[in-house]
Amino acid sequence: MADLIDYLQFVLAPQALNGLSLGVAVVLMALGLTIIFGLLDVINMAHGEFYAIGAFLALTLAGLGVGFWALLVLVPLLMLPIGWLAERWLIARVFHSRDRHILTLLLTFGLGMIMEDLLKLVYGPNTHRPENPIEGGTEILGMFLPNYRLFLIGFGLALIAAVWVVVFRTGLGAMVRAAAFDKDMASSLGVPVRRVYAGTFAFGVALAGLSGVLLAPIYSVFPTMGRDFILMAFTVVIVGGMGSIQGAVVAGLLLTQVQALSSLYISPVWSDPLVFGIMVLVLMVRPQGLFGRLGHA
Amino acid sequence: MPEATLRTLSDPGRAGPVSRLSRLAPVHWLALAFLAVALGFAAVAWATGNGFYLRLATEALIFAGLAMSVDLLLGYTGLLSLGQALYFGLGAYVSALVLRDVAPSFWLAMAAALLAGGVAGLIGGVIANRVKGVYFALITFGLAQVAAKTVYNTRALGASDGLIGIPQISIGFGPLSLDTADPLSFFLLVLALTVAAYAGLAYLMDAPFGRTLAAIRANEKRVPFLGFNAWRYKLAVYVLAACVAALAGALYPMLRGFVSPELMFFETSGNAVITVIVGGVGTLVGPVVGSLLLTALRSVVGSWTEHHLIVVGVIFMLSVIFLRKGLVGALLARLGRRTGQGRTTP
Repeated sequence: MADLIDYLQFVLAPQALNGLSLGVAVVLMALGLTIIFGLLDVINMAHGEFYAIGAFLALTLAGLGVGFWALLVLVPLLMLPIGWLAERWLIARVFHSRDRHILTLLLTFGLGMIMEDLLKLVYGPNTHRPENPIEGGTEILGMFLPNYRLFLIGFGLALIAAVWVVVFRTGLGAMVRAAAFDKDMASSLGVPVRRVYAGTFAFGVALAGLSGVLLAPIYSVFPTMGRDFILMAFTVVIVGGMGSIQGAVVAGLLLTQVQALSSLYISPVWSDPLVFGIMVLVLMVRPQGLFGRLGHA
Repeated sequence: MPEATLRTLSDPGRAGPVSRLSRLAPVHWLALAFLAVALGFAAVAWATGNGFYLRLATEALIFAGLAMSVDLLLGYTGLLSLGQALYFGLGAYVSALVLRDVAPSFWLAMAAALLAGGVAGLIGGVIANRVKGVYFALITFGLAQVAAKTVYNTRALGASDGLIGIPQISIGFGPLSLDTADPLSFFLLVLALTVAAYAGLAYLMDAPFGRTLAAIRANEKRVPFLGFNAWRYKLAVYVLAACVAALAGALYPMLRGFVSPELMFFETSGNAVITVIVGGVGTLVGPVVGSLLLTALRSVVGSWTEHHLIVVGVIFMLSVIFLRKGLVGALLARLGRRTGQGRTTP
């Protein structure tokens, strides 16, 4: 019995908490992706690069002496115009063609490629390691946890709740949901659909940038940092249901737990094939994912 | 003109039945012109004794085979595959294993790769064709990721290092034989195979099979009302594309002497999609032209900066926005205007 408790306390629980901090971060990324898909039908292949840009912006601004707390506000604000312009200049151009699913996927894929190379051009291919803004750790139930991870879990959960409130409990969110359900009807009722589109894309991009700021102190910062992370976020969005907010949250927390706990039993190198296998299975059996789409109740 | 996007260019509906009978479609003339240029290049490279560029051109043709298989799905059937590298890599690994461990026989390696590509394509096709649209793109992507990561983790397949030391072979054609170690003869062989693949696939796409695929692309829901089973056709073209990709992949270890898991990664699949879009979607010759142009571009730009992705990315995005039918499509439209063919469209 004591063995079992020890096992739970010293093996399972720390792994589960590690998984939770990763899970919160993945959910933040997946939220941006899923909102953009739910409203605009766009698979944003450049999302990982927006995340990387957020991390590098934080690095540069921190070098200029901006404090961590200011970064949490400043970086998303700087990402907003980038997202807005990307939607207006690129997505909107092909939005009304018949193959917009494929065309927007290709455009964001190209955009991601360019942004990744631009980051390499500006910052070089090396890995940067930002300072940990919150030092120290706390002992909870006999487990030692870094304070920053605890902050990440708390802040991330608060942010997820805030996104939920904005989308489901404000007039702005109602406009977004109305446009996602029926853009023509929403437009005739006076919703500025084009601005809602650009604004939502910018919002998703800002969330990605914010995830970059939050994760930079844990994972290092390098130009291709978005790649591995985005695959996980995509899987989460697919399993949860493309365009579903609660789906992204549930699937994000669930899949990162699967990844974290499975790595106790199988070699961690196999956790990627496992997660992608789950993604393929869900696509086969229930392509709409676990939950319904944004605006479609 | 939104309905004109991603549209087949060798569509006889535009050329009219008479012109189709009396002469080759403009797209085939373009292919012939391209072949002449390729042969001219081979002659120059041979005369100057430049093996490096011959090998580079051979590699471009091999990746053109992969791009053609993407074009079969995207250009003719309207299915975007983001995981075609799975079959390319499979062909490469099977060919490498046969050449290294079984027998140094070209024909055996190609047959084994074809068989593996066909079987894997059948399995992957049954899985991927359960869903449509962007879900198809994502499921092909996921399948390729699972396969690539599995190969990457498998010690017996060389894990992250891949397989090295694939022997160079001599390929027998009855009394004649050629050596893969000789850049010129291997280039000519791959060129001949590319031409054969182009001719065979272009013929098939003009046959009732290809017409049905075009119908699926145009409006899948109506196809069953015409008495065709859309699912079967989509599965068939998926298997066909997998076989083409596997055969192209089988040539890779003969050229380079090694295979690595990178051949299966998303970069390879993504590059094939870029090649098709830049070259010309739904033309079959576009992927070949695109592959050679992009390889040349990477090698030129790569000689003065390592940031060739920016250049390729910009060209790719401009193609998506402005040249919906790629370079070949733009060229054909221009030729069509000059010969008055464009005016036959009502």
